[in-house]
Amino acid sequence: MASTRKIKANRANARASTGPKTAQGRARTARNALRHGLSVSVSSDPVFSEEVDALAREIAGPDAKAEVLELARRVAEAEIDLRRVRYARHQLLNSALSDPYYESEARVREKDALVYRCMRVDGPFTPMPYHVVEFLDSKPEGPVKLAMILSDKARQLLAMDRYERRALSRRKFSIRAYDLSCKELNDLSKVD
Amino acid sequence: MASKRSRSKPKTKSMTSAPARVQRLAFFGPPPLLEGEDAALYDDLVGRMCAAVKPVDIIDELYVAGVVSLEWEIMRWRRLKFSVLQASVHDALEGFLNKRLDYQAYAEDFAEALAEILVEILQESPQKDLAEEAKELAHQYARSQPDAVKRVRLRLRAAGLDADQILDRVKAQRAEGLVQEYARREPEAIRLVDELLASSGRTIHDLVLEALPRDLDEIERIDRLISIAETRRNISLREIDRRRTVLGEALRRNLQEVEEGEFEVIEPTPAEGQNPVQARRELRTGRSERTEIRGRRSSH
Repeated sequence: MASTRKIKANRANARASTGPKTAQGRARTARNALRHGLSVSVSSDPVFSEEVDALAREIAGPDAKAEVLELARRVAEAEIDLRRVRYARHQLLNSALSDPYYESEARVREKDALVYRCMRVDGPFTPMPYHVVEFLDSKPEGPVKLAMILSDKARQLLAMDRYERRALSRRKFSIRAYDLSCKELNDLSKVD
Repeated sequence: MASKRSRSKPKTKSMTSAPARVQRLAFFGPPPLLEGEDAALYDDLVGRMCAAVKPVDIIDELYVAGVVSLEWEIMRWRRLKFSVLQASVHDALEGFLNKRLDYQAYAEDFAEALAEILVEILQESPQKDLAEEAKELAHQYARSQPDAVKRVRLRLRAAGLDADQILDRVKAQRAEGLVQEYARREPEAIRLVDELLASSGRTIHDLVLEALPRDLDEIERIDRLISIAETRRNISLREIDRRRTVLGEALRRNLQEVEEGEFEVIEPTPAEGQNPVQARRELRTGRSERTEIRGRRSSH
């Protein structure tokens, strides 16, 4: 059991931890949920909703009972969500790959440090060695560029992977529920 | 009753042909291709996966679309891992060659590069046969003839250039070219690189070992992506299997209907002089020997 003094101190500390205080900080945290929009449910978006309905009808068939259609809808929701996450991840990689001027922050820092070192050692008016000039002019290409993008966007990719994992899990269990319901209906129709 | 026109029955999805399936899988979104990846190869993979898994309904197709996309990712990340390793070994080899390359290996290249620069410099003076003179001067400089060295240095200095920098550039270019030739397994390049490695008491494996720690993070990251995609692909395949066990009976019934649908019973042609009504009666009682049943089993 914590002492009264400790409880008071905890409460006072908790009151102090209320997130960012400056206007910029508050504005930045206010946009946290809007970074990629993947936490927004597909059913709250009219375009995705239409896709969900179309896919649910396709899964359940034309004369499906209401409960089967509802289960098919859950499958469709999870599938559309999964598609949305995969598309976002794909776009993230593709937009960086198709940018001809893409440069990683680590490499920019490395280049700056190299220029500074050359200027400090040889003076500002001495031409830089060939390999330095070549490195400064170089742009990442092909597989090296993709590996660099994976490294730069590791945090975003990890976040998207979490959404993908959840969507996959929801899809798996909703398909199991749908299959079970279809099987029960089949068994019932056999008994009839 | 004899005319069992089951072909008119709507076919179930399992009977669709592979290209139709490829088209149908497009319903699940555009192929996840990155810049430079081949869409035809992706379609080919879809076709082969459909032929192997034989999806029986839209949920199976949904799983197959996912499996194909994951399989594509696995192949992409494996290729990338190989390329990263290869690039890192090439970088290490280039660095090694930059330090160890003998002057004789690039003296000719240096003479040519110097000749080009001298032509540009000499163009400003009103002399004739510039190309010949520059070439001669450059070759003499490359052979370290004192008079030529003095003249070239003077001219380069006047133009704000440095012979050592030109030498560095040519050496780096030669090292780069040699690495590319080595990667193409050209015998001359292999011989030269092996000789240089042997003279320094190292092997290409030593260079790989030196390069590996630098790229270990990247390789680990790619390995993790491969592992995630493999796990997800295997889960999807297991789910397809599970569905077939759970829905086995229903699917078997579906397949039976499909197979029956693919058979067509053709009415017997009445023999000359035979009454068609009599022929039908014979068929119904199964007595006719002329009953011809043409059947075609599905290719799936």
